[in-house]
Amino acid sequence: MAKSHPTDPTADGTPVIALRGVTKTYANGKSALRDVNLSVPEGDFVFLVGPSGAGKSTLIRLLIREELATRGKVMLEGRDLARLKRRDVPKIRRRIGIVFQDFKLLPNKSVRDNVAFALEVTGTPRASIKPAVERVLRVVGLAGQADQRPSELSGGEQQRTAIARALVHDPHLFIADEPTGNLDPLISWEIIQLLLRINEMGVTVLMATHNADVVTALRKRVVGLEDGRVVRDETGAAYHRED
Amino acid sequence: MIAFVAFSLKRAWQGFWRNSLMSLAATASMVLMLTLLSGMVILFLGLNATLDYVKGEVQVVAYLNDSATAQDVAQLTSQLQAMPQVSTVKYVSKDQALKNFQVSEPGVADLVDSLPSNPLPASFEISLRDPSDYIDVATFLRDQPAVDSVQDIAKTVSQMTAVINVVSTVGIVVLLIVGLTVLFIIVNTIRLAVVARAEEIEIMRLVGASDAFIRWPFVFEGAFVGLLGAMITIGLLMLVQAPVASLLSSFFNVLPVQATAMVGQNVALMVLGTGVGIGVVGSYVSVRSYLKR
Repeated sequence: MAKSHPTDPTADGTPVIALRGVTKTYANGKSALRDVNLSVPEGDFVFLVGPSGAGKSTLIRLLIREELATRGKVMLEGRDLARLKRRDVPKIRRRIGIVFQDFKLLPNKSVRDNVAFALEVTGTPRASIKPAVERVLRVVGLAGQADQRPSELSGGEQQRTAIARALVHDPHLFIADEPTGNLDPLISWEIIQLLLRINEMGVTVLMATHNADVVTALRKRVVGLEDGRVVRDETGAAYHRED
Repeated sequence: MIAFVAFSLKRAWQGFWRNSLMSLAATASMVLMLTLLSGMVILFLGLNATLDYVKGEVQVVAYLNDSATAQDVAQLTSQLQAMPQVSTVKYVSKDQALKNFQVSEPGVADLVDSLPSNPLPASFEISLRDPSDYIDVATFLRDQPAVDSVQDIAKTVSQMTAVINVVSTVGIVVLLIVGLTVLFIIVNTIRLAVVARAEEIEIMRLVGASDAFIRWPFVFEGAFVGLLGAMITIGLLMLVQAPVASLLSSFFNVLPVQATAMVGQNVALMVLGTGVGIGVVGSYVSVRSYLKR
């Protein structure tokens, strides 16, 4: 029942993500992305799939402006990332929540402090940090473990801490790079449920994954990358091509 | 802004102690450099003040033999007054010399009473119209049998100028070398601090921390090393101030004492400024070159 997804960005307002003819070639001559076109409207939930080395991570690095495209345009909420001033990069990043396979938590800080860190380092006044942290900890269901350190938590709890940290700036776009890669299937489902809830709150979600069960079960939009090219872009699709 | 400063200070403090051995080594080298710097400056100021004093008082001092008679004194006085180069002639008798000494050195005044006889010679203090006429007057005085010795001010002045030149040249070279070494140590210390926080820096970038929030804590950390080094140095200087001052005044003999308090304050400010300055510059260079992306 999969149907091709329209990539016309003007279909429904400004897309949260818009890539036009994006090519990324590294200094060693290796092309990680080749002429990629992608448009993700607000509120969408997109799985980014493909074998290792297909360009998923490169695509994410371009979206958070960790790197710049060699050719083509990467637009976030209508803003061309290549033309962004250096001092505006942090502001864009605050509109993006991102989590990774390896959680990237600070081991010597409690759950609460790990989440608060994201606000502290962006100059949030002390008085508004505490309520914001408590709120996102309730959203991810970690209010009871706020004082524990990452080493005292399960993998799923660690990932939920990372999700709380990514949510605390009220992002418009939520990027999850292999968020269940280190988790067993049951815990993976908890994390996916959480991402679905975040999506229901109106946040656009882009999730890169190898988890075929999850992708196939959810029947969301699936963008397939292979060798740096978009080889499929279907809504309501399975992990593997069904045609 | 308050949140930023509080955050930076907190992280600088944590950073200092996280890598305490390296931080303390940097602080120690900072103390070494600042002590050297203040030692040089104090020596330089002392030499210059002495030179000014000596230059300002260009006068010929002729010490008389104890065997000189009143007649000799009267004759010499009139001869000197007759010389066109001389503006004033002042005779200081042995008794007067002793009184002057007791006034200028009250600490040892009691000792003088226990001396069997007055060891101080009588002298002529002759002011000149022009310092360059010194040689004429000195030559005349040396030929007088009643004169024991003539204080050679011109020679003292030229010797002092030479010493000051050598001291300032050597001092500047040594300070430059030590200063660069300290700067290098600070750059490395802060580099290690940055590497130790690589994980945190990555997270900070991902959650949208501005460059200032990433960089300034390290600059504060460098400033902190400088501040601590300066404070330890000032403490050390205060500890050794009394013995050094007496050593200096006995060495220079004529060091104007009233300047000491002001010199102390200026040296403290200089130590503080240099310490914090090198700390800030070193860490800024380090952070900037490392985080340039």
